[in-house]
Amino acid sequence: MTTQRKAGLGRRSTLKLGVAGALAAPFLSQRAHAAGSVNVGVILPLSGANAQFGINARNGIQLAADQINAAGGIKSLGGAKINLIVADSTSTPTTAVNVAQRLLTQNDVVAILGAFVSTLTIAISEVTERRGIPLLTMSFADQITGRGFENIFQVVAKASVIGKAQFDDTLAIAAASGQKLERIAIMYEDTAYGTSQAGGLRTGAKNAGVQVVMDEAYPLGITDITPLINKLRSSGAQAVFPVSYLNDSLLIIRAMRQQGITIPAIGGAAGYVIPDFAKGLGEYAEGVLSINLSNYDLAPNLTKAFSDRFGYFMVHEALEHAVCMSVLAQAIENAKSTEPDKLRAALHAGKFTNGWCAAMTGGAVQFDSTGLNTLSVPVMVQWRNNELVTVWPADVAKAKPVWKS
Amino acid sequence: MKPALKYALIALALAVAVAVPFGLEPRGYATRILCLVLLFAAMAQAWNIVGGLANQMSLGHAAFFGIGAYGSTILLVKYGISPWLGLLPGMAAGGVAAWLISLPTMRLRGHYFALATLAFGEVMRLVANTWGGLTGGPSGISVPFSKPGLAVFQFKDMRPYYFLMLAALLVVTAIFAGIRHSKLGYRLRAIRENPSAAEAIGVDTTRTKIIAAVVSGALMAGLGTFYAQFQFFFDPDTVFSIPAISVRVAMIAIVGGVGTTIGPIVGALFLIPIEELANQTFSDQAAGLSQLVFGLLLIVVILAEPRGLLEIGRRLWRWRGRT
Repeated sequence: MTTQRKAGLGRRSTLKLGVAGALAAPFLSQRAHAAGSVNVGVILPLSGANAQFGINARNGIQLAADQINAAGGIKSLGGAKINLIVADSTSTPTTAVNVAQRLLTQNDVVAILGAFVSTLTIAISEVTERRGIPLLTMSFADQITGRGFENIFQVVAKASVIGKAQFDDTLAIAAASGQKLERIAIMYEDTAYGTSQAGGLRTGAKNAGVQVVMDEAYPLGITDITPLINKLRSSGAQAVFPVSYLNDSLLIIRAMRQQGITIPAIGGAAGYVIPDFAKGLGEYAEGVLSINLSNYDLAPNLTKAFSDRFGYFMVHEALEHAVCMSVLAQAIENAKSTEPDKLRAALHAGKFTNGWCAAMTGGAVQFDSTGLNTLSVPVMVQWRNNELVTVWPADVAKAKPVWKS
Repeated sequence: MKPALKYALIALALAVAVAVPFGLEPRGYATRILCLVLLFAAMAQAWNIVGGLANQMSLGHAAFFGIGAYGSTILLVKYGISPWLGLLPGMAAGGVAAWLISLPTMRLRGHYFALATLAFGEVMRLVANTWGGLTGGPSGISVPFSKPGLAVFQFKDMRPYYFLMLAALLVVTAIFAGIRHSKLGYRLRAIRENPSAAEAIGVDTTRTKIIAAVVSGALMAGLGTFYAQFQFFFDPDTVFSIPAISVRVAMIAIVGGVGTTIGPIVGALFLIPIEELANQTFSDQAAGLSQLVFGLLLIVVILAEPRGLLEIGRRLWRWRGRT
């Protein structure tokens, strides 16, 4: 009996020790708050399905922060350096909120940048809003700036605006080549990004009196694309608008071209505007159009630093995250403080023109009361020889669009 | 162990659990992680009723979790019904769903049951994703921001959540322990040891398993409401997630010690902080390293002792006793 009782006790105390250790470890504060530095939180999906986009975005932020530090840091704070605290949100909103809470509690970050995926950004914003800390993002689901939050700042246009631009720009490009679009096809993945952008496309088509002859959602990660392509062929559409991430975009375009469907394809950013698209499709990529939130050829003098350092062209999520970093640095400079209230006021008040802001359409960043950058206009890009060339709107275009009806 | 000692230990553990948050910053990160530990312990405990007592490896418990989360949140958003009231229809829906899915699947054994439940969770995700008018579709659903308070189940600080999660864990654990020591519990264990023998001595195996599944599903749905009010925003991919909910709750129970009363609690106390620690230590290094390290740790634990951490603790003690 005695040994049994002792065994019971010991088992528990051993367990308790282990548990206490495991519990305490993550909370031992990691305050690396060096004098004269400003901690900036970066939350991105660095593992899981969106890891590549997360890594691109992190590279963009890293580049911008290094440039700011090399140029003498935040001058109004005595040359304080930007100190990035990078955290992996994975693909799970619960984890994204955990890391946001951690950066705020333990690292005293003055603002958070991220998190590429709209659902992650929305989840994080529930924390930053309650804590009054600015969240700068390039996620663009309509809800992000549609909830009346005061601490969120979105440097690009909204999803519904992007979807509408994807349609309107296409109509204009077709018209400029002498074709009147009458029948279009929409296919989109059934995610937040796919459905909200498809909504914008539908609105655009309705307003222009264009018939949507095919309107199909498909599950993310679809493996057999043939039924969709067959439907597209028999629909008689003059152009197709696929909205998808990389793998699906490769499947769709490859299947279309292999089956000899040559109608123009106008992608919805994401999978259509990254180097892997051209790598995966080779000659089939040539001439594919896509809407984009910004493009590297609009500011080659800035984006060259990225391709020199990382070996691929500066994809839009990298560019826009660099813009987030740049805007934040300028706001801290103007506020002469990292105090949340002053920083928020500076973000709302300023028109940011320096640094990476010049790479955005409109050449600057300015937020309205909802935190939306009012100057950002989506652009249409086209694949030419493994490069993305801005072809619309005409006033910023680097080349004329090629439209083969 | 003598009952007196056992109760003393339980009382001590409770006292520690109640005292802990007062030593931590109330709005902070540590309290949030502890909330998740308690929530996931409760979820794993609810799973344990089916997975542990009846040995039916469900990999679809996210279905009930999501039903509860959506149930109360939809009632709140559309009709302004307090989540405390919404909790009940959510739990009822979770129980009914568990009953419906159990009717055909509880006749399956082993891998087939696991696969069937896995598919059910995925079907629920697709339903929520497609039925946009009701659920908000893939864009997700937000709990409306309101003035914090107990009545609306919203708090500014983490501390009230901590105590609610603790209460939830205690309730679920009490139900689990109650079932375990009841006639139902003995029937379930008879089924676990040998279904054919159980049937031969007159246990209605299918009915017994269905009762366990309904209780488990309803509790899981109730915890879904807790999650919704804690996280404020979710989408179908989050609450019906296979890796983040279904597999994780099973994993917590298995790593802790499946079928035991404190196994899920030990599992959650171990897994949730370890995952955070891995994330915190490695996520600013190579991308994805944190998840890799976490995965490797899990593999090591299960290779070392497939019966879980409780068993490792026992073995450690025996080994120490010998030297």
